[in-house]
Amino acid sequence: MIASEQAVALMVVLPLLSALVINMAGWFDRRLCFPIALFALLGSCCSAFITVSRVIKSGVIHYRLGGWAPPMGIEYVVDHLNALVLVIIFVVSLLALLFSYKSIQVELPEKILQFYTLYLLLVAGLAGMTITGDAFNLYVLMEISALTSYALIALGDKRALVASFNYIILGTIGASLYLLGVGHLYIMTGSLNMADLQTILPALLDARAIAVAFVLVMGGVWVKMAFFPMHGWLPNAYSYAPSSTSCLVAPLMTKVSVYIMIRMMFSVFNPNYIFVYLDWGRLVVPLATVAIIFGSISALAQKDLRKMLTYIIVAEVGYMVGGAWLANVTGLTGAIYHILADAMMTLCLFMVVGAIIYKLKDSSMDSMEFIFRRMPVTSVVFVIGAFAMIGIPPTCGFFSKWYLISGAIETSQWHYIFALLFSSLVNAFVFFRLFEIGFFGKKPADGHDHHAPEIAVSEAPVTMLVPMVLTALSLIAIGIYTNEIVTVLITKTLPVGL
Amino acid sequence: MEYILAKYNYWIYILLMMIGLYAMIAKNNLVKKVIGMSIFQTAIIVFYVSIGAKRGASIPIIAHGHGHDVIATAVSAAEYANPLPHVLMLTAIVVSVGTLGVALAVCLAIYRRYNSLEEDEILEQLR
Amino acid sequence: MIWQLDLLILSLIVLCALATISVKDLFSAAIIFGAYSFLMCLLWTEMGAVDVAFTEASVGAGVSTVLFVAAVFRTTRKVKDRGVKRYWTKGVGLLAATSVGGVLIAAVGDFPGFADPLSPASTHLSPYFITNTLTDTAVPNIVTSVLADYRGYDTMFETAVIFAAGLAVIAILRRSKTGVQHESREKVILSEGYEDTIIRLVARKMVPFMQLFALYVLAHGHHSPGGGFQGGVILGASFILIAISYDMKMLLGRMSEKWNVLLGNIGVLVYAGIGFVCLLLGANFLDYSILHRILPATDEIMARSHGMLGIETGVAIAVSAIVVSLYVNIASQGKHDKGL
Repeated sequence: MIASEQAVALMVVLPLLSALVINMAGWFDRRLCFPIALFALLGSCCSAFITVSRVIKSGVIHYRLGGWAPPMGIEYVVDHLNALVLVIIFVVSLLALLFSYKSIQVELPEKILQFYTLYLLLVAGLAGMTITGDAFNLYVLMEISALTSYALIALGDKRALVASFNYIILGTIGASLYLLGVGHLYIMTGSLNMADLQTILPALLDARAIAVAFVLVMGGVWVKMAFFPMHGWLPNAYSYAPSSTSCLVAPLMTKVSVYIMIRMMFSVFNPNYIFVYLDWGRLVVPLATVAIIFGSISALAQKDLRKMLTYIIVAEVGYMVGGAWLANVTGLTGAIYHILADAMMTLCLFMVVGAIIYKLKDSSMDSMEFIFRRMPVTSVVFVIGAFAMIGIPPTCGFFSKWYLISGAIETSQWHYIFALLFSSLVNAFVFFRLFEIGFFGKKPADGHDHHAPEIAVSEAPVTMLVPMVLTALSLIAIGIYTNEIVTVLITKTLPVGL
Repeated sequence: MEYILAKYNYWIYILLMMIGLYAMIAKNNLVKKVIGMSIFQTAIIVFYVSIGAKRGASIPIIAHGHGHDVIATAVSAAEYANPLPHVLMLTAIVVSVGTLGVALAVCLAIYRRYNSLEEDEILEQLR
Repeated sequence: MIWQLDLLILSLIVLCALATISVKDLFSAAIIFGAYSFLMCLLWTEMGAVDVAFTEASVGAGVSTVLFVAAVFRTTRKVKDRGVKRYWTKGVGLLAATSVGGVLIAAVGDFPGFADPLSPASTHLSPYFITNTLTDTAVPNIVTSVLADYRGYDTMFETAVIFAAGLAVIAILRRSKTGVQHESREKVILSEGYEDTIIRLVARKMVPFMQLFALYVLAHGHHSPGGGFQGGVILGASFILIAISYDMKMLLGRMSEKWNVLLGNIGVLVYAGIGFVCLLLGANFLDYSILHRILPATDEIMARSHGMLGIETGVAIAVSAIVVSLYVNIASQGKHDKGL
């Protein structure tokens, strides 16, 4: 009945509508929440795939909301880049939803209704941020995803409240800086539409206000993605949140922010302005280097699994920012590819930790003891996720690093290459230590012949295993099909003039 | 002097924004931080509304007669203030009250658990 | 616009901002913040942004202040003095404020002069809205037509933001009913000793007029300042007045928590639903002009006008319910036993 052109609108509207329906149905029967959410996200997922195939076949899609022509009204613009990001968002949120089915019943039995409603609103916000072609609309959706994630994080353990408060303060600073940046663009150009802005801006290259707008927008987005000096809120917020929340928030929020950074850099401003006129690539790439090294060293110092993963996220954000600012095609390809790869591997590892918490009620590294015997499937998934993080072929982590490093060689940014290799080494060290604990137990034979205690297999429930295994498989599949993904989707998105 | 007076709205908004940002980061009391956040957000609203001001223009409601036939005479754009920033700021005000509600709720929940609104006391208890 | 008046109000605003972050008593800070919001409101009326001023008066000065007062009432009003130990955070704060301020000052030089009719903002998009609002939508209040139609998609998510905030506050604060129930009920009976006939009588007489005014603001938003948000907040404020002058039980007896959240939900659903109906009828999402097919005796232009009225009604329902819900949860710390 609804033509396939409307699939674009359905992606964002379905999660929003179903969030409302869940909230109504849930007051009568809480068991209705999960199936409604599942069907909504399945529908959105299908729409996302339909949209991707349409984009590949016939190019960029424009969708006018309210039927108004672009600079006046708001439009959706779906090109190859955000089609990819949309697929990531819906696949990750669908898998994380399946995963949360059991864990939410243990962690937040009383707040199931609010959890699912906020969850879907968050997904709607993220998808809306990705799909929109209007700079101000992006702010509104940024706030909706931020507000819902504050609440979802605050539902966590007893330290989560303070972490959430810090996140509110810094998240508001970030969003407000972005809004100020858009205001500067508006006062100079009179427009809010991204495509319109891009046509007007080249005439205003010399204005300092435009440079200020660029600084503000980047600053705001960097706070949101926890780029190095502004990363303070992320580790606590993501590690004290309920595991069902962190499985959704950790893979997606930073990645969507990276996408927004790339979108603003190349679809509103242009590469010539950033890299030639301002020439700030040489300032930001070293900052990314520092971010990677800082994140890796901090990850090394952690005793808690989730804390460790969150610092790895800080390092990974450095990868992507650095890649995008390398100012060449290979680096940007690596950064975009890494959005996909990193979303999936972060999801994979957070789900593993979530499953361990679900079974053992503990997320310290010691809980990994004999995990290979206790939860065999989970640990195989963990190994694949860890390999991807380290960058061992054929997992996707290898290929993103390959592109990033080749990009850095082209511009001879040696410190960035060093940071990438260093971070891979640190990841290898951290994860192999965990494998050791998981396989041989915490203390190797102290003097006498060591026998591992008898441990019965007690695997996580099926609703957790299925998404975990699917994610692990996707890590390998993405790695194997790297070439196709890059040629069909990513090379089409690269801006002219880079 | 001319330079300062011609743009006084912009100077003031920067001042307000700095006050808000300072309070958000440096204040020890959580409610004070939230107040700083609200000041920061209203500063941005001042900025946008100042963009929308237009010398010699009326409020953005088109003069119209009463009754059913609102006659669409030619409307001159110079007569009315720029409505777009106003619309954007209506949105921003509503968003800021939403953020305010959530922030205060978190403050209350923190107070319930730690019996304090002072950041350093809470951090001490967390240690 | 009278620049002397502008300057005076702006200076007062800065004074209020400084005062509200430096007083040692949180209750005073909340009240000064209310004064700050009212000054903002004056400033915006003076600059011609009547709708923004109206919203700020009802949301910023009204609801925000009530929420602050409720939060302070439920916690503590004292701010402890932390003299020497906090040099480091103060340093970071100063550094952040001055660096962002410095960056912003660098930009001001390039701005077009204040209120310049030839600035890009006044010449690029806005003339289209001003000249075409009547022919496109038959709504003379340009702010309403841009808010609810040209940029209606923004507004839908803005309503969703409010709804999300209401849910978030419930999720964070609401306590389960087990255990504390009996104890708190006794407390309520004790607290009912406080009665003030004058306040109750006046509040009782005022509430219907407030609600009538709210409906007027909503319905007349096409032609005068106002619309869904302002009307909704005023409607919500009338319920809050009942809760403050009587008792929270009195309010919750008339409007239970369940209904409150459901109403908020229905409000957003009305908005998104109207958009979805447009989509089902074969137009784009939120393209109200297609509604002329199902609305009797309307052409495409009037269909837009009616569509806007429909979504504004949704906004008003959602906002009023959520404002009440925010107040109820914050004022009672999520226990729903008693308010201020």
